[in-house]
Amino acid sequence: MIEARKFKLSNLVVHLLLIILVIINLFPLYWMITFSLKTNDEILGYSYKNEAGERILVPPNHVGLPNHWEWANYVEAMNTGNMGQYFINSLAVSASVIAITILASFMATYALTRLVWKGRKMMNKFFMLGLTIPIHAAIVPVFTILSKLKLLNTYAALIFPYAAFALSMGILISVGFMGDIPYDLDEAAFLDGCGVWRIFALIIAPLMMPAVATVGIYTFLQCWNELLFATIFVSSGRYRTLPVGVQQLFGQYTTRWGPIGAALTIATLPTIIVYIFLSKRIQDSFIAGAVKG
Amino acid sequence: MKRTLSYKLNIFLFLLPALILFVGILIAPIIMSAFYSFHEFNLVANTDMEYVGLENYKILFSSMLTNANTGKIYANSMYLGDALTHSLILAALSTFIQLPLALIIALKLSKGIWGERAYLSIYFMPVLISTVIIGRLWMNIYDPGPAGLLNAGLRALGIDKWLFPAISNAITSSKLPFTGQWTGFRETALIAAFIPILWQYVGYHMLLMYAGIKGVPADLLEAAQLDGCKEGQVNRYIIIPYIKPILKVCVIFAVTGSLKSFDLIYALMKDTSRAELPSTLMYKLLFLHNRYGLGSTVAVVLIVLCFLFAVLISFAFRDKGAKVA
Amino acid sequence: MKKLVALILAAVMLLGITSAFAEAEKPTLTLWSIATESDANRPAYEAAIPAVEEALGVKIVMEAFENDSYKTKIKSTSAEELPDIFFTWSGAFCGDFVAANKVYCLDEEFKNYAEQLPEVMLQNSTYDGKHYAVPLTMNIVTLFANMDLLKEAGYDAVPTTYEDLIACCDALVAKGIIPFGCSGNATWCVTEYLEPIIEKTIGYEAMNEIFAGRATWNDPAIAKAVDTFQEMITKGYFDPDGLSLDNDTVKANFIAGKYAFYQNGSWNCGEINDAEGDFQAALFPVMDAEKATYGQVIGGPNDALAVSAASKDPALAAKVAFALGKEICHYGYLAGSGLPAWTPDYDTSAVKPLVADVAKMVSESEGMVLFGDNAMSADPANIYLSYVAKVYGCEIDGAGFIEALTNELQ
Repeated sequence: MIEARKFKLSNLVVHLLLIILVIINLFPLYWMITFSLKTNDEILGYSYKNEAGERILVPPNHVGLPNHWEWANYVEAMNTGNMGQYFINSLAVSASVIAITILASFMATYALTRLVWKGRKMMNKFFMLGLTIPIHAAIVPVFTILSKLKLLNTYAALIFPYAAFALSMGILISVGFMGDIPYDLDEAAFLDGCGVWRIFALIIAPLMMPAVATVGIYTFLQCWNELLFATIFVSSGRYRTLPVGVQQLFGQYTTRWGPIGAALTIATLPTIIVYIFLSKRIQDSFIAGAVKG
Repeated sequence: MKRTLSYKLNIFLFLLPALILFVGILIAPIIMSAFYSFHEFNLVANTDMEYVGLENYKILFSSMLTNANTGKIYANSMYLGDALTHSLILAALSTFIQLPLALIIALKLSKGIWGERAYLSIYFMPVLISTVIIGRLWMNIYDPGPAGLLNAGLRALGIDKWLFPAISNAITSSKLPFTGQWTGFRETALIAAFIPILWQYVGYHMLLMYAGIKGVPADLLEAAQLDGCKEGQVNRYIIIPYIKPILKVCVIFAVTGSLKSFDLIYALMKDTSRAELPSTLMYKLLFLHNRYGLGSTVAVVLIVLCFLFAVLISFAFRDKGAKVA
Repeated sequence: MKKLVALILAAVMLLGITSAFAEAEKPTLTLWSIATESDANRPAYEAAIPAVEEALGVKIVMEAFENDSYKTKIKSTSAEELPDIFFTWSGAFCGDFVAANKVYCLDEEFKNYAEQLPEVMLQNSTYDGKHYAVPLTMNIVTLFANMDLLKEAGYDAVPTTYEDLIACCDALVAKGIIPFGCSGNATWCVTEYLEPIIEKTIGYEAMNEIFAGRATWNDPAIAKAVDTFQEMITKGYFDPDGLSLDNDTVKANFIAGKYAFYQNGSWNCGEINDAEGDFQAALFPVMDAEKATYGQVIGGPNDALAVSAASKDPALAAKVAFALGKEICHYGYLAGSGLPAWTPDYDTSAVKPLVADVAKMVSESEGMVLFGDNAMSADPANIYLSYVAKVYGCEIDGAGFIEALTNELQ
């Protein structure tokens, strides 16, 4: 396989097409970053009167690099919204959701695959219902439930619903991973006098470490960008997540393209940077999920 | 050992966290939504629930108005049919354009082409960007003003001169001329909204399929090559049948994803009515009209449809899979 | 050792007591508004809050939300989560909160302000004879005109008859100037055009009856008004790009000299007054002189502050709400982001000319119709808006408009 990776002339057309796709994928991002550093005059074009009194039209600079790098846009975007706080909120929510999802789905998967009881196949199918249920469809009842439990406007208002909706995927992936762990291990531990809880905690859980990354990534993709629940269930700025914060910021700069671009870039770059460093691991874990699931 | 493993309390305790989450936040709400759908109430004004029978379903599906003068029939403002049609179009585009594209890329990349990893990383990148951001970014791309990237590009290439009149002619919903207001007309708004949705998730499906193809046993491929199979034949007779389970998952995700699609349209357009999807209509009925019963009815319809399509797709794949095997 | 612990404990207690005193001295009240950075009302809030904090010895913490998302947010906030004071639109919007017992009744506190605040300004936030919200400013639909562009087309004044307006538009189009700009992205902007046209065709009494649900939309005159509006659109009097532009962009285009007219709320007066160029304010001309007059206006006091019933100290919050309302009105009037709902007790000579013109129109007004989306409750208002959007896109004609609304809003 290694020699196949060498650049081949016969693949030129294929590469050409793939590179066009690369451009389609990256160009909007490039454009976003360039207009985040431009002034409105440069983005929209403007006209001025020269010494002879003639009106000179300056066309907008669409795709070029900025003529003058307007860093003030970033200062403005950072000062207006509380982006740092929203980012931390999003991280806190996502991390908790991932932790809860992993714990709950590993435990459930253990019961579904290693413990012996009637109806476990049915139970598995029951959990798989969650794969197709649209998260938005539950909004009114979940809202009433949260409001009765006095949980609105807390991190919990987002964490539990997100975890519930990530659970099915978590179980689906965990079943694949747990199936690969040899049953001999359980039996050996059992003969040593371990109960099911100790087997789960000391033998199964450590061997499920690769699944942690995979379930984590799928869960992250589901909850990091969620908008509707985050808008409705949290009203205080203290718990507001990044997508809602970004959405709010847009409402404040409808006509000023520079700060909008800056806000877009600020909200995008951290994820992209982390992704660039970890892309191989992220992809491998994602791929593992596809194969096991 | 078997006795310990089937000890009821343990089983229950292991399942408990998942069950609490799942039943409390997924199953109970579905039952509650079904109950709400036969009622009407205003959550803001805290009104009592009023039993309305099937009225909500009737409003969403049947009430069509006829214009007495022109004889033209058009839907009422809460008609769900159009929104459903839109989401089915999106599902079809997703299944027949997005997924094949993803499959072609995955097939090419998985053959160990030079720069495989770099391509993979770049194609997957949009998946990680917040939908809100993608919506806003594309809103700027579609801007009809001087800064809008799409129109500027079309004008620079001179395409607008024939494309805009052609689109004007194709637009039947309005008499107004098309001059680059991509989100201003029913027909163009729909396309404008679908492109970023399709764009964002090509990478997601591609990576799933790529994973599947990498899982095809090497000896199977070698045997086929020894038999003199060409690349196309290997793809068609070995790889695609082998990754059928993953293709099934992709189709289910694409179709149910289209039915539940919300964030992007919400971020892209302030007034979603030109590219209404079931979820945006539901949002409007709940939070603008304050009609919580009617909104819940849309939720019930959505849940049923998602479930139905998942079953149908599974059935379709099972049938063909059996024939191949 | 024991002494040290005791000393520390005493210090902590002292600190606790003093800080408790500080809190008792300065109660903190939370306020939600839509006065975001880009909102025309922002400066008024920024000036009013410190003034009230100073006068009443309180601390006010404001959180501002974008207009559209605020509507969802405030509706989905449970009673306990509401801030002490919150911005609300008067009319049916506030009525829902009152019905849910989420709003504190202001009758007691209003007694202290009855002389400065005309009862009529509270009309739209009065339910069952009780007052529930403090009005801030009032606004009417205003036809703003760029006189430099009108001059280019040979007009020195804003046309006051419909025929004249049409002739003016034709002259503008001939000069390559777009007469009107209107955002199709936010339907309320379309109502700023459609409602005056309907009102100038059927008169304000008839329109009030329809908005109040006492009369149906089934009036051929309304269909004719809608058709007239659409004729103006199809004749190219409106910027075609407007269909997918947002209001801020349309307004910026008008100020930059791209359109001759811009019809929108009078809260824009200050901003347009301060912009470079010669701008005037007027009203849309009469279309049926038998039913309507030039002096009738669309508008009224539509933004207000309400006090949460769950506030820790609702009486204090009410006091602060009135003080805030008065000050926001004061600074808003001077800045030109609204007309006064409160009788001014300050020097009004500094009021901007454009604002003064519109204030004069209001004081001379011969009849008023509240904005449709404020006058109707949420469900009919949004049904109405959905058809208004279709009107602007020329998806339905006048006949279709009245038929649909008659059927859906029985």
